[in-house]
Amino acid sequence: MANLLWLQGGACSGNTMSFLNAEEPSVCDLVTDFGINVLWHPSLGLELGENLQKMLRALTSGQLPLDIFVFEGTVVNAPNGTGEWNRFAGRPMRDWVHDLSKVANFVVAIGDCATWGGIPATAPNPSESQGLQFLKRSQGGFLGKDYKSKAGLPVINVPGCPAHPDWITQIVVAVATGRAGDLALDEFQRPKTFFTSFTQTGCTRNMHFAYKVSATEFGQRKGCLFYDLGCRGPMTHSPCNRILWNRQSSKTRSGMPCLGCTEPEFPFFDLAPGTVFKTQTVMGVPKDMPAGVDKTGYIKLTAAAKAASPRWAEEDIFVV
Amino acid sequence: MTTDSKELADVSGREEVRGLLAGGLTTEVQPRADTHEEVTQIVARLRAAGGDLKAKLVIAGFTLEPIEHSGIEEACETCMYYVVHRRFCELPELNLPVEPQWSCRLWRI
Repeated sequence: MANLLWLQGGACSGNTMSFLNAEEPSVCDLVTDFGINVLWHPSLGLELGENLQKMLRALTSGQLPLDIFVFEGTVVNAPNGTGEWNRFAGRPMRDWVHDLSKVANFVVAIGDCATWGGIPATAPNPSESQGLQFLKRSQGGFLGKDYKSKAGLPVINVPGCPAHPDWITQIVVAVATGRAGDLALDEFQRPKTFFTSFTQTGCTRNMHFAYKVSATEFGQRKGCLFYDLGCRGPMTHSPCNRILWNRQSSKTRSGMPCLGCTEPEFPFFDLAPGTVFKTQTVMGVPKDMPAGVDKTGYIKLTAAAKAASPRWAEEDIFVV
Repeated sequence: MTTDSKELADVSGREEVRGLLAGGLTTEVQPRADTHEEVTQIVARLRAAGGDLKAKLVIAGFTLEPIEHSGIEEACETCMYYVVHRRFCELPELNLPVEPQWSCRLWRI
């Protein structure tokens, strides 16, 4: 039996909604098949008031072992580093996070806010929000860059806005069943098994990307969303087109540009007007290139791809 | 519109554009739309121009030959709005038949 505690800081509950929609495995599977004991969760927990505080104190004192501490949302430090804007169970949530992280075998940050601060930490960051071990791209965050859980691992980051349901439950199961050692993490402490390939990997628009045929409207089935509509699929690490959403689709498949929500800089350009859903260019060339591609190569590739483009690439091939 | 009638409309539309440009229509070739803000301003003017072909050509800075800008030849044929086989510009605010060697200042790759 692995004890799991899930708390929420500066959060919208989006990752909780995602978690509750998990299918492979489902939340019920975690309990019945994988022996996970959900001590408390904001939407599922039964304890309230004094009873909850007693349980939390039992965890921080070591009386009750904490195997997995899952945190959703930012660590709110406002005002002036006190954390008083986000109180929970009688004290600032940041104090609970601090104490629980000391006793947890594993700490898992779920969603962008818990991993790197996400939308709340966007400038001017009035809630003084931080991720658990990052603030945007800078390592450190609330727990500091040297933090290791009792099992010797840094915070395991499962980003996304929200994170896919199955990324959450599969990582929780891996940890609970003693396979945490198999989890290779990348430089942002994301499990490589999910975050090495790109959102573009498996995108149904890859042929249009290859032949430089652009989509010009949301929902259009023809064309690639990267060239005009600001899609970040070619430079975002996520398996959104390998592990599909609701088992059947993804943003890009349905004609909606990827916003790059698994990357530390999300939301990009601090949400300045005109930067969302629009590819940013300098002298006609995209500011952000597909990962690993340089400007000269991109221009050459575009000319060659356009010249080689077959007629069918310009037509809607997804006929209903 | 059938494929045949679309092709015919494209041919005549292309001829009309060529006639206007060859006939000396002065267009706003410079400054090129280098920044996002400049692109947005030009696109807004195009929207306001509606279906007025002459105004669209002027605002977008159309030319019958590619313009070289910062070492890059900005021809329609490499622009991401260009539909190769139809020889057509799919930028919604332009939406007109073109030739591969034409150019405009909204070129982007």
